[in-house]
Amino acid sequence: MQIIKSFFIGLMLMIPFLKTYASELKDSASFGFDTYTDNNDVEVYSPTFELLKTVSKNWLVGVKLRIDTIAAASIRYSSSPALISPDAQATASKRSGFDDVRYAPTAFVSYDDGENTATVGAYYSTELDYIGKAVFANYTRELNQGNTVVGIGFSQSADTWSPNNNRTLPVDNRDERKIDLSVNQLLSSTASIQLVYSYMYSEGFLASPYPYLIQNGSFIGFENYPDTRTGHAFAIKGLKYIDDANVMNFSYRHYTDDWDIDSHTISAELLHDFNDKWMVGARARYYTQSGSNFAKTLGDYTQSDKYVASDYRMTAFDSYNVGIPVTYKPSLESPYSVSFSVDYYWTSDNDYIQNWFGESNIKAVYTTLRINYDF
Amino acid sequence: MKITLLLSLILLLSGCSDKLVRVMPYEKEHFADPKMSLSPLAERAEHEGHIFLIREASAGGDSAYQGGCGCR
Repeated sequence: MQIIKSFFIGLMLMIPFLKTYASELKDSASFGFDTYTDNNDVEVYSPTFELLKTVSKNWLVGVKLRIDTIAAASIRYSSSPALISPDAQATASKRSGFDDVRYAPTAFVSYDDGENTATVGAYYSTELDYIGKAVFANYTRELNQGNTVVGIGFSQSADTWSPNNNRTLPVDNRDERKIDLSVNQLLSSTASIQLVYSYMYSEGFLASPYPYLIQNGSFIGFENYPDTRTGHAFAIKGLKYIDDANVMNFSYRHYTDDWDIDSHTISAELLHDFNDKWMVGARARYYTQSGSNFAKTLGDYTQSDKYVASDYRMTAFDSYNVGIPVTYKPSLESPYSVSFSVDYYWTSDNDYIQNWFGESNIKAVYTTLRINYDF
Repeated sequence: MKITLLLSLILLLSGCSDKLVRVMPYEKEHFADPKMSLSPLAERAEHEGHIFLIREASAGGDSAYQGGCGCR
């Protein structure tokens, strides 16, 4: 259940990925299909539908629907001790074979007058035990004859838990706020750079209601985290046009928060045009993080601990990602285009992963497919 | 403090127009290339952003602006 619920938590933070569509005001429709599978028997299949329609020279409206169908056939407990808590047993029995479907519609309006772009929208998602609601807004302004673009983004969510294990939570809300500030600068006719700062604040019940910790045969407790979290992220990204067939992009991000989690992420990607129709790329990503200040070495928890973590994300680990993107467009004038990507993701070995999943690390494959039609 | 520094940088960039004009409009053709985007596959960026959020304890560092020639 932990892994399933994790697919829904923090979704608000994804909203800024809804790019500023107003940079290309045109009518389009797309159908997509995304997948995720890992070595813990988690399978997610996500069809998406998107429609963008201009309503005037400067205005566009968009709607999007994402449906996540999740199946977690089983979670292995090769190394887990016997369950001794009735609550924990009930929770475990519900985890096995648990399926869920999340419906997540998004609607937004964009404005573009050539120098200014703005997008405002709202998001809603619902599944069995969690309701997500959020609003978001982005604004960008071109300066210096388009050499500089400054941007600001804001999102605020107000989510509600309703656990299906009859557990009463201290609070049932999970609210998150995010502000992004960015500056994009052209460095030459072939290179640009972007600096981003993000402020993130969360409050409410920030753990998952289901995971628990058993240690030396004793039920330590359900997972419990501090009820507020403040994070900061700094990123630098770059684009380099190498020649007519090759472009490279790279990024570095540093994240830090008041739970003492610090992380560093670097990624690089090369995109190559094979011909006028096909583009293929290759990329790599490396991520490393420290552990939270309340996560302990397994075996060191006591029943008097205020905070308990069973989620490996509260501990130190590394992860790696390699992927291949492909795009196809029948001709320059064609209204159709297709894009596909496949990525392999894996983490370093981690005791918490071993304890909860019975695997030394996580290995996952995820794909995306989009068929787009401009009309 | 860090927010103040970034806001100051933005204001500085806003007030130094001439100093930062490095590329003239007729030199921006390469930025119109679809590959010249910080997220060349927007759907992948959305999907993987979701996955990284559920697999890692970090977030942020994203901007609505992903590139483009700005030369309409």
